[in-house]
Amino acid sequence: MKLSLKKVDLILGSYSNEEYKILFEMLSRNSDEILKDLIESGLKGRGGAGFPTGLKWKLCAEAVSDDKYIICNADEGEPGTFKDREILDRVPKRVLAGMALAAKVTGAAKGYIYLRAEYSFLVNKLQKELEEFHKILKSNNIKFNVEIFMGCGAYICGEETALLQSMEGKRGEPRNKPPFPTTTGYLGKPTVVNNVETLVSAFMVCRIGPEEFKKLGIQGSSGSKLFSVSGDTPKPGIYDLEFGLSLAEFVDEFGDGDTKAVQVGGASGFCVPRKKFNETTIGYRGGLTGDSLPTGGSMMLFNSSRSMYNILRNYLDFFAEESCGQCTPCRIGCQQLKNGIEAVKKGEKDPEYLNQLLKLSDTMKITSKCGLGQSVANSFSSIVTNFTEEMIY
Amino acid sequence: MPKFTLDGNEIEFKPGETIIEAAKKVGVDIPHFCWHPSLSVSGNCRVCLVEIEKMPKLAIACSTTASEGMVVHSQSEKTLSARNAVMEFLLINHPLDCPICDEAGECKLQDYAYQHSKGESRFTEEKVHKDKRVPLGPNVMFDGERCISCSRCIRFADEITKTGELTFVQRGDRVTIVTFPGKEFDNAYSLNVTDICPVGALTNRDFRFKARVWDMSATKTICSGCARGCNIEVWVRNNEILRLTPSQNDAVNSFWMCDYGRLETFKQVHSNERINGVYMKREGQDVKVSWDEAYANAASELKHLNKDQIAVIASASSTCEDNFMLAKFAKSVLSTKHVDYIPHVVPGSGDDLLIREDKSPNAFGTELAGVHPAAGGLNRDAILDGVKKGTIKALIVVDEDLAAMSPEMETALAKLDVLIAVSTHHNRTTALANIIFPSATYAEKNGTWVNFQGRIQRIRPAVTTLEADRTLDNLAQSRLDKFGTEYDRWGRSVKLDARPVWKIFAGLSTAFGNKMKYTTAEDVLIDMGKSIDAFKKLDYEKIGEQGVQLELSAKVKA
Ligand SMILES: Cc1cc2nc3c(=O)[nH]c(=O)nc-3n(C[C@H](O)[C@H](O)[C@H](O)COP(=O)(O)O)c2cc1C
Ligand code: SF4
Ligand code: SF4
Ligand code: SF4
Repeated sequence: MKLSLKKVDLILGSYSNEEYKILFEMLSRNSDEILKDLIESGLKGRGGAGFPTGLKWKLCAEAVSDDKYIICNADEGEPGTFKDREILDRVPKRVLAGMALAAKVTGAAKGYIYLRAEYSFLVNKLQKELEEFHKILKSNNIKFNVEIFMGCGAYICGEETALLQSMEGKRGEPRNKPPFPTTTGYLGKPTVVNNVETLVSAFMVCRIGPEEFKKLGIQGSSGSKLFSVSGDTPKPGIYDLEFGLSLAEFVDEFGDGDTKAVQVGGASGFCVPRKKFNETTIGYRGGLTGDSLPTGGSMMLFNSSRSMYNILRNYLDFFAEESCGQCTPCRIGCQQLKNGIEAVKKGEKDPEYLNQLLKLSDTMKITSKCGLGQSVANSFSSIVTNFTEEMIY
Repeated sequence: MPKFTLDGNEIEFKPGETIIEAAKKVGVDIPHFCWHPSLSVSGNCRVCLVEIEKMPKLAIACSTTASEGMVVHSQSEKTLSARNAVMEFLLINHPLDCPICDEAGECKLQDYAYQHSKGESRFTEEKVHKDKRVPLGPNVMFDGERCISCSRCIRFADEITKTGELTFVQRGDRVTIVTFPGKEFDNAYSLNVTDICPVGALTNRDFRFKARVWDMSATKTICSGCARGCNIEVWVRNNEILRLTPSQNDAVNSFWMCDYGRLETFKQVHSNERINGVYMKREGQDVKVSWDEAYANAASELKHLNKDQIAVIASASSTCEDNFMLAKFAKSVLSTKHVDYIPHVVPGSGDDLLIREDKSPNAFGTELAGVHPAAGGLNRDAILDGVKKGTIKALIVVDEDLAAMSPEMETALAKLDVLIAVSTHHNRTTALANIIFPSATYAEKNGTWVNFQGRIQRIRPAVTTLEADRTLDNLAQSRLDKFGTEYDRWGRSVKLDARPVWKIFAGLSTAFGNKMKYTTAEDVLIDMGKSIDAFKKLDYEKIGEQGVQLELSAKVKA
């Protein structure tokens, strides 16, 4: 497919049988050097929260424990995101290589791939890959073992601490943070939880070097990332794009000529209306701790035939269904927002009521326990404020 | 110790302590629903969110550990607006059950709603409906609509009883509590969840709909069910006990009590078998007589007998004061050496949480108070043997149904020259007695018990008898007692004619010409301290709300 945007093919490109050979060259390096490269590269998590990957590995490496774990988060539950399945299908060796690097740096001997239950079609292929991987590790005298853990079927189980709970056989509910998984993770042991793509990116950073990696992207958002493009577009699919391009450029490439809004980052991300395409840059926004950065890479395009009310209602249905129900604001707030916009649409409530709902979603952002409840306000307020009329009439 | 600042005040904390814990220690209650001092931190109610300087987001005080120099605001605008908002969330789905809810009056949600919310709701949609009457087990009823999903009950079953019967199911606002398939919430401590449930979602099936909280008085006392001596509160309306609840004592029972103690130890206070007034046997019939007549009669009967033919059986449920008087009377007035009590130990019935094999609340204290055979005297088995053989001709027995032990015993008791029963209830032994003195139950008197650890604790009267002195005996009063209504338990209630055991023995002693100068149970205790080391220098104030660990000599401990 022809792409006029700056073309990158870092994650999926030039995949060969040499992957493990390259891995072992890297593994012969000193852990500190690997860490330095990662930190230097500015690589941030590709799973949603955008936490600096090098720092995450470093924290886990510094934690003192006989047992440590590396977990590849392949739960991929964010609506509109479908890149991790492609990565696992097309470049599985790179995922395992990333895990092996993380294991080396942190001192972990055990890893898990937490695989979305619906991705069971990948299991056979991955198992075969694992057999080969283990054989090669063994012949190189490296103690690292990876197992597949089938996901538990809830969106919330993609949140790293709920994921850990579910792996421990408990109800999939987020834990309080701190403590973070890097010190208190799986079975209470130091654990790195990384997204599939993050692991591949880490491997690629070490492969091409931080300097090359940083040439891609912009300050604060280095590198490229896979975007899942869907909605009203003539060419849905996944694309490796550099950070830093404007949404206008993006829509030029992928839109159908009638794009009225783009949902960046899935249901928990932001909806950007046409008038803001020019001023919106695709990349991480802000500091280390933002739990709601829309970095999963989902890009949904909507043209003028779409009702933004229906889209928002659909998201709220999703959140009301998937909220784990543990904490007060999200358990009750999701339902309340959904009932609220329905009431306004039906005319049972004054349009003024939308302001109450906006305040309510703001409260959810401040008071919810995990990223799910904290990010409902992203889509809610961006859709309600930019498309108020569609909410009412 | 390191310090942090809470609302402008410096507070010391131990490293590792959370903000909520450290605040609680200095008496500051940061509002919360899901946090409980003896359960793990769950952090899901979000009511304890506080503002911490230099932190980007509000943090929950229950799971954030205090650190040196931290500056915390629990009353700032940001904190209050978050708290009010969370309260509003909670109330959106909470049913308007307060008028019929047992929890009303002691409900955290109600209390906080008064303190921390706006008093009106911006949201008027239909509330979510859930099952309202689900028996989780034999003792506990669940109301899904009232549940605020704090998970305290689940954590209790996981962490305290380790029985793990409860779990959340479903997600979102459909979340609710169930027992695991095939399981019932049926453990020895299940009712504690009704105390820790911050709302009226879990109720005590025995107490449901019996009374409004504010109509009852609560009296701090001790459970009579076993040698643990759990601290409890006795809840009384109209002179009738309606429920027992545990009260915190970290040295004894933490926050808990067992279901047996809670359900099975108070109903007998109001049973139809209670003895009301003094009785003497005349021509095979029990005839009501005056106290003085009975005392005089008992004295003249006993005076005829050789002191070696008289024995006294005490009760390990009586107080230390009761038993001190009993032993004093037996040894110095009757001059008998045959004094003992009968233990009630059920091997294998204990557990490692609270329940003890020794089912008497005061066996330890009974022995310390001097209830044991004097040198050369008969012990319990020998006394009972003597009764059967006819060598014992007179027996005073306190709250012990000896006749129920065996038909042989029953026949032997019938043949005694004198059988004096001091008893709370009619039973087969009182049926044979020449004289029956009605004794007050643990709920009707002041006194002390010593638990299995050697901790002396106070019991207090919650129910009034004819002779109880409201002021002297310090009876707790409910709001209505103080202001008077038709439920005033001092007005229309049933009051029994029964006395504490110590008073009965003081009365007997007087009839023997030995007047004892005690007005209150405390006088007895203070006197005991003069002759018995273990009780040295104790008084009720010293024993206080939480009891005192007795200093026991090595000999006693063995
Ligand atoms: C509700 C929710 C769902 C999430 N689902 C996923 C997921 O499916 N895959 C994923 O990699 N991260 C998911 N995350 C983010 C993880 O919590 C975590 O931040 C991520 O796995 C860390 O990996 P990274 O640092 O490599 O991005 C989710 C977060 C939330 C709050
Ligand atoms: S924010 Fe929502 S999903 Fe997250 S813990 Fe709270 S209820 Fe569960
Ligand atoms: S039943 Fe009560 S204790 Fe249990 S989760 Fe609900 S509110 Fe909390
Ligand atoms: S453990 Fe013993 S003292 Fe405690 S409540 Fe149960 S019976 Fe009463």
